[in-house]
Amino acid sequence: MKLKYSYILAANLLLAATFSACQKAELTTFNEIKIPTSSPISPGNISGFVKGTLVTGQTYTVTADLTIKKGDTLSAQPGTIVIVKNNAQINVQGSLMLIGSKDQPILFNSDSNKPGTWGGLQCDTAEAITIKWTHIDNTGGPDAKGDARGSLKVKKAINVDIEDSWFTNGQDDLMAISNGATVTILRNTISSSGSTDGEGINLKTGVKGVVAYNVIFSQAGSGIKLETSSKIPFPQTEVDVYNNTLISNGWRRGSAEPGRAVSVGVNGIGHIYNNIIVNCYHGIELFTDGDITKTTYGNNLFYATVDTYADLVVPTQKINIRDNFYPEGAAGKPQISDLISKKIGDKDPLFVNFDGTVAAPNGFPNNYDFRLKNSSPAFSAGNPKYNLDLGAYTSDGKGNQH
Amino acid sequence: MKKIIYLISLLLFAASFSYGQQFTLKGQIVDETTKEPLTGAYVHFDDIKGGAITDAFGYYAINGINPGQYKLKVKYIGYTEYEKKIQISGNQVLNIPLVEKAQSLKLVRVYGKANKESEASSRRSEKNADNITNVISAQAMLRSPDINAANALSRVSGVTIQRNSGSDDAYAIIRGMEPRYNNTLINGVKVTSPDPVSRFISLSIVPSDLLENIEVSKSLTPEMDGDAIGGTVNLVFKDAPQYEYFKANGSIGYSGLFFNRKYDNFNQGAVQSKSPVQRFGPAYLAPPGYFSRANLDFTQKNAPPTSLLGFTYGRRFFNNKLGFIIGDSYQNQYYGTNSQFNNAQLDTRPGKGFQPVISDVANRTYSTQQMNNGLSGHLDYKFDDNNKLSLDNVFLYTRLVQSRLSIDTSILGGNGGRVGPGTGTVFNDNRSTLQNQYVENLKLSGKHVLSPHFLFDWAGVYSNATQVSPDRADISYNHLVNPDFTSTPDYFNNVSRIWQKNGNKDLSAIANLGYKTGIGINNSLELKVGGLYRHSTRYNLQNEYSLRPTATANGVKSPFTDIYSADWIVYNVTGSLASDKANYTAYENITAGYGEFKLTLNKLDVLGGVRVENTEQGYDTHPVVLDIRSNAKKTYADILPSLQLKYKLTETSNLRASFFKSISRPALYELVPTPTLGQSTDVTGNPLVQHTKADNYDMRYELFPRKEEQLFIGVFYKNIVNPIEFALNGSNNGQLSTTPQNFGTAKVAGAEVVYSKYFGNLGVSGNYTYTYSNINTTKIYTSTDASGVTTSVPKLQSRPLQGQTGNVVNLSLLYKNDKQKAFVQLAYTYSSRTLTLVYSNYGYDYYQQPQSFLALSGEKQVSKHFTLTTKVNNLLNTPTTVKINDLIQSKDIYNVSFNIGFRYAL
Repeated sequence: MKLKYSYILAANLLLAATFSACQKAELTTFNEIKIPTSSPISPGNISGFVKGTLVTGQTYTVTADLTIKKGDTLSAQPGTIVIVKNNAQINVQGSLMLIGSKDQPILFNSDSNKPGTWGGLQCDTAEAITIKWTHIDNTGGPDAKGDARGSLKVKKAINVDIEDSWFTNGQDDLMAISNGATVTILRNTISSSGSTDGEGINLKTGVKGVVAYNVIFSQAGSGIKLETSSKIPFPQTEVDVYNNTLISNGWRRGSAEPGRAVSVGVNGIGHIYNNIIVNCYHGIELFTDGDITKTTYGNNLFYATVDTYADLVVPTQKINIRDNFYPEGAAGKPQISDLISKKIGDKDPLFVNFDGTVAAPNGFPNNYDFRLKNSSPAFSAGNPKYNLDLGAYTSDGKGNQH
Repeated sequence: MKKIIYLISLLLFAASFSYGQQFTLKGQIVDETTKEPLTGAYVHFDDIKGGAITDAFGYYAINGINPGQYKLKVKYIGYTEYEKKIQISGNQVLNIPLVEKAQSLKLVRVYGKANKESEASSRRSEKNADNITNVISAQAMLRSPDINAANALSRVSGVTIQRNSGSDDAYAIIRGMEPRYNNTLINGVKVTSPDPVSRFISLSIVPSDLLENIEVSKSLTPEMDGDAIGGTVNLVFKDAPQYEYFKANGSIGYSGLFFNRKYDNFNQGAVQSKSPVQRFGPAYLAPPGYFSRANLDFTQKNAPPTSLLGFTYGRRFFNNKLGFIIGDSYQNQYYGTNSQFNNAQLDTRPGKGFQPVISDVANRTYSTQQMNNGLSGHLDYKFDDNNKLSLDNVFLYTRLVQSRLSIDTSILGGNGGRVGPGTGTVFNDNRSTLQNQYVENLKLSGKHVLSPHFLFDWAGVYSNATQVSPDRADISYNHLVNPDFTSTPDYFNNVSRIWQKNGNKDLSAIANLGYKTGIGINNSLELKVGGLYRHSTRYNLQNEYSLRPTATANGVKSPFTDIYSADWIVYNVTGSLASDKANYTAYENITAGYGEFKLTLNKLDVLGGVRVENTEQGYDTHPVVLDIRSNAKKTYADILPSLQLKYKLTETSNLRASFFKSISRPALYELVPTPTLGQSTDVTGNPLVQHTKADNYDMRYELFPRKEEQLFIGVFYKNIVNPIEFALNGSNNGQLSTTPQNFGTAKVAGAEVVYSKYFGNLGVSGNYTYTYSNINTTKIYTSTDASGVTTSVPKLQSRPLQGQTGNVVNLSLLYKNDKQKAFVQLAYTYSSRTLTLVYSNYGYDYYQQPQSFLALSGEKQVSKHFTLTTKVNNLLNTPTTVKINDLIQSKDIYNVSFNIGFRYAL
């Protein structure tokens, strides 16, 4: 009697064992998303997945988001005109090669020509970015989800080469580059960008490279910001920042979060030389959590065109810009090699044309000429490792060509 | 609807005072052998309506009896029915001993009735259960300071309750296993969750009043759902009683937190139920004026008292064929949390050795009103002894109104200006939330004895949970305290408005067929086959509007003085509905079947078998940019064998051993790779997360020397492949963002002891669980070598399983005085350090610190029907503290809460 049931028991256990042996493994399948093949570009309206070359003298109208797929390249020849409608953005997963020339720059703008009216270059996962002699105007503004869009965003360890180009009237961060990219950002002019927040050149999490000979005028937040990430503190961000002309930056974010000409924080490293810093809310701010021991700086010129500036929100509060060249509370200290203005007229860099504007709104026209008059103290005051002169416009012709 | 129910209860209440004025029969009902008073026994005269139920001390009284001869009957579950002819000619006292029913041998061999009586007490259920079980009876819940299932459960051996700061949500941790490894059932079936970031319903919204008992199964039989590794909590709602049953209770209370601060209030009327798009269509461009302001205007008031009301009524009709019981429990609670929340990061400053350091300190105050209404109904119809149909309906409604005020100060230089205490940038972030949750659970089930050897039972379940959170409004502004302690004005940063709605719907069908036969005189065999099909769907809808300050004339961010003068533009005028990746639909299909046998030999019970569960899960999001992960499907099949052995050492002791395989599935929101917003944690899903598989081994020795006295000693071991743990990605304004991940294989081993005994008027009940768990995971290790080169390399770290608590102690002292009709209970709970969050850096995990809780409850019966009750919780004012090594990362203070009330029983 008992035996019989022991058999059942044994049979059951055996069955269980057999089942366990043929157990099905977990399978995760992502439904294939039908990504259309990229179409070659021809003048006129373009949208969707494209690749190929934008040809000299032609005008292209982007009517909806453009995507350059992994492996594809979008190139532009000198003199191409691209007009973007419907707040569209350009997604780059492949390579972007915009090669204009001094005589025939490439032009990207929205149809309405107002700040923040198209989505910019979203290159988070791009393979290579080269932009030369190109105007990129009126980028930024919210995407459909309500998130602010930087004008040029990269989040990958690739080469990002941006030279001799103009970026005007962006909304959020102008360039936001992170995750180990190598940057060569030379001789560009960035004007009146960021609505009430946003940095000019925001480099994070392990970015390496050079930022030199750029003019950054009236950026809402900081002109150039370097930091690593508190979560992944290594590899460190380490960038040479030299011979930039940084004018009237950092005012639109309000006095609770003053913007800086150059800041270094969160384990970042900067080598900051030969810059001309005029009328910025804060000058060079080295936060105590930056890698202060490895950061080097000097030969920078600081100037303010006014003794005090009435706070825009509390006009009774007068801000002494000169007190904030190296703001209190941060680790940066005046260097012997610096040219630091003590009063109006002292160490004035003598721009060819500048009216002393301090705070200006997003979209403010930059009709100034930040070349230096011959008598400028900025000549021959530089750290020769970078340049004999200070600022973006140098006498050796290596500087900004705009 | 609700009003009518309260009206009825009020009428019943009034009616109970108007009985007639003849003679009275009263006395006490006790167990014949132990002399223990029996609570809830039904004393009545045959063929006459009415009668009485014994109170908590076994006393009964029947009033208004006309002189004459009567047949007196006493019924008590698990006891032999008492019958006696008596003559009433005056007031009379009659004490009656009842004899415990011996288990009928015949029942073991064939199916008796479809209307199987439940066991006399929880202890008997534990003793006779097929698997390893702990049970808390309604009585234990009634006597202890527990107003909801969560509090009651925390007194079960090996069970701890996970709580979330800022909310009263509570989920069961069984034997140190995260709530995710445990199943929460109502009347044996799963209930869908209205919470967007939880798979189960919060136990705090189930009032303990409605519960007949709570069963905690720590091992699974093949007929049970296979997705429980720690165990299954089954909340069994009250069944239709044999006699007319009416109970009501009410109490008021106060949270001690509000002795020290005010309650932050906002105008709930300003919360707009519909978003601009919902009201005017997808093309509508929302103007700045659409968005109300009063729900971001936080004013202070005195916290109102908490009030609790409940009643239960039931009876049977038509010769006891049709029965119903209806219960409603209403809780309106006001509570708060004072919370310190510190953001931590790796300290990269020279010489700091890359240890965690606090980068920001945020102080948050929560003020919460939570209104729960649980309405449960049960209807059963007994055709005959062989056929029974039941209809169960549980409807839970919760309304949560919460203000969260947060002040965040940067400690490291990140935002500049910080030179010491009291300086730096200060961010204010204030949020108002209003949430309505609806859970509807309808179950139709039948039990049919087809022949004495065959039993068929089935159930169809419809379950639907919805959460609507309209217009969650959040404002942030900031100011800077300069190094000279002057302060800038506040600047207006941003307002976000989110309309969120999600729902979860389940349809299940379950059927079981059993066969039972005797073998020889003392033995029997039971065979069972059955299956289950469940189809679940879930959706999340989210629509966010971002409001940004209008720039001043010179383009600068505008200052913030108060919400009514704030000037904003709508940054995304059409909302995010059309493109928000957080909008998704998801589904889960489960097909399961099992075969099971139970062999009852003279001393040995063997239960075994195998269950097969097939799972299909998938989701679909609305991607902005085409994304390969926007749509996925997962399939897996699991074979789950189970073997349970019970050896009856003596009449009063058992030895058990069990082995079973079980699984745990990722919840649907845990697969969807977009953030789902929670109250204090947002979860970004991970479609590649694998389901968890476990081998479970258990042994337990059980001794039941007397009624209400027990000793259990158990050991267990689990090998858990791919446990799902939450990795911390970061935090913003005290809102954590986490992602579920698999970190490898964990080993869990432990032992538990349960003991309860009564010495005269004094009772002691205690349990202790020790659990060891270990998992090795790869972390990032950062160090600087002798030559000054710093590297970050992967390094294995050994650590406990997330949510696992090493030592858990529950101890309660009970004093009861039959003469004074009084109970007093002091309950103590201790839980040791618990890993709450896994961080990616080596030696950098978040641990909740040990906690001791003390609660006191008492009651005294003041008249035949009325009992006064009092409950005081969290006497020690125990905070919830989370540390990274020695660094305090967060500390939440809830304070003591007081409750005083009454209970009325018919």
